Amino acid sequence: MSFRVLDERRLAATDAATLRLLAGRTGAWAAAGDAEALRERAHEIRMGVVDDIESHLDRFVAAVEAAGGRVHRCASAADARAAVARICVDAGARLAAKSKSMLSEEIGLNAALEAVGVDVVETDLGEYILQLAGEHPVHIITPAIEKTVEDVASLLSAVDGVPLEPRAEALAQAARRQLRQVFERADVGITGANFAVCESGSICLVTNEGNGGLVTSLPRVHVALLGMERLVPTLDDLAVLLQLLARSGTGQTLTTYTRLITGPRRAGEVDGPEELHVVVVDNGRSRIGSGPYREMLACIRCGACLNVCPVYRKAGGGAYGPVYSGPMGAVLVPLLQGLERERALPHASSLCGACTAACPVKIPLHELLLELRRDLVEHGVASRGERIAFGLWSLLWSRPFLYRVSTSLARRGRPLGALAGPGRAWAAGRELPELAGRRFRDRR
Amino acid sequence: MSDLVETFAQNAAAAGFVVHRGVAPAIAGAGVSRALYGVASTGSVVLGASPDEPRSRHLLPEVHVALLREDALVADLAALFRAVGGALPSALAIVTGPSRSADIEQRLVVGVHGPREVHVVLEPR
Repeated sequence: MSFRVLDERRLAATDAATLRLLAGRTGAWAAAGDAEALRERAHEIRMGVVDDIESHLDRFVAAVEAAGGRVHRCASAADARAAVARICVDAGARLAAKSKSMLSEEIGLNAALEAVGVDVVETDLGEYILQLAGEHPVHIITPAIEKTVEDVASLLSAVDGVPLEPRAEALAQAARRQLRQVFERADVGITGANFAVCESGSICLVTNEGNGGLVTSLPRVHVALLGMERLVPTLDDLAVLLQLLARSGTGQTLTTYTRLITGPRRAGEVDGPEELHVVVVDNGRSRIGSGPYREMLACIRCGACLNVCPVYRKAGGGAYGPVYSGPMGAVLVPLLQGLERERALPHASSLCGACTAACPVKIPLHELLLELRRDLVEHGVASRGERIAFGLWSLLWSRPFLYRVSTSLARRGRPLGALAGPGRAWAAGRELPELAGRRFRDRR
Repeated sequence: MSDLVETFAQNAAAAGFVVHRGVAPAIAGAGVSRALYGVASTGSVVLGASPDEPRSRHLLPEVHVALLREDALVADLAALFRAVGGALPSALAIVTGPSRSADIEQRLVVGVHGPREVHVVLEPR
């Protein structure tokens, strides 16, 4: 994998989006009172769960079942896909309406449902746009930031069969109309879970558009996908994290629709799902939770680290892979997929530490990235060429005579520009510094 | 108590609610709900699903009106959860303004899936 800077248009779009979100965040934190104390508290709450996921999960499962819901524990992405597919097939479902879920992207859910004959429609406006375009999200909270209003107009026009005006208002109305039919016809509603509360067995779901509410109100079956670490012990703890989530993500005091779902529809109620299924996904999380990178499991997916990251803002979310991006993605993806498969990601950082400073739950993101780089080297995952190059360099520069010879040679003919093979490609895109005519050590 | 009312009114207006005192507006086609609680620090209205309060009532219509008794105001989220305690409804919605999205070129639009216009009526005790 190689990191490329975005083209000018997408760079401007990414800049505008991240700056807007950052400005919102700065304002919201200034108004939050003792933000640092809140962050400390949030870190403690999340690490309390991460350090003992199993017993928290047991309490949560018991509470969901007491409220009339069913829990499906899944060890792998394949298990989770199969569990959701089975629920849909058992329900005789033809159409599933989805609210935004990064976990569903992680496990590749949509294709698995299409394979068993269930149409899946994304209802978050940004995700719907990307689904029509056949693309992946490039930002975990504002997934379609690289799309222009003209792109969106042509995608939504294709659904209607008539051309739509390229204005955000008109397009949002068109999407509302198109998706309203989906909410009404869908047999199954699929959501993620921003948090799950152990003491009450509640799923907490936040959306600004209200699609999370509709998806869990109109279809007769609700499937909630839950990353096994997204638990909080009590409602009191939830209050702390909700305040941080919206402030860090969009700069809102609270997301417009914050929903707590506790069991399926009850006697006498006229809407809401008859069945509630909570699909708890491990997919590597318990392994991460028992290792040195377990702080990463404290992440609440707010997106703040993406918005402050100089690498994310120039490379865009697509550079990191199809699901998670920015600093949280650069740490999480190698942990989920295996470091040997994701060798480039730990290097997608200047290690400036802006991510760590922005993280509302105080995950030391840039330190974890540095640790991952150390692992790459120590476990021999670094490429052979890289190891040979650094070995040679270490050999040369740890001997005074060889050091003198190499630096003296370096002054002749800008050798970096004359590199052969892969070195030439590396040098081609870079402005190389002029070397001084005389070495410092020669100036006596 | 009056402090809570003023804080709520200010924050609700900032979140995009039209705040009324005492008298509910008559708007044809609007969904009208009785709020369980109001959260002063965020300006949110809290709706609980029940036989009398369908989940979708505050989402499907273009305009929504929430009726909120002033003595149902709580200071913040923590106080809300203490008040709800062990009696959570099957769905509890904490609503803070109209449905909104900035997914198209970061331009804020309202009324994407839920209502474009939201009212809250503060009813004195």
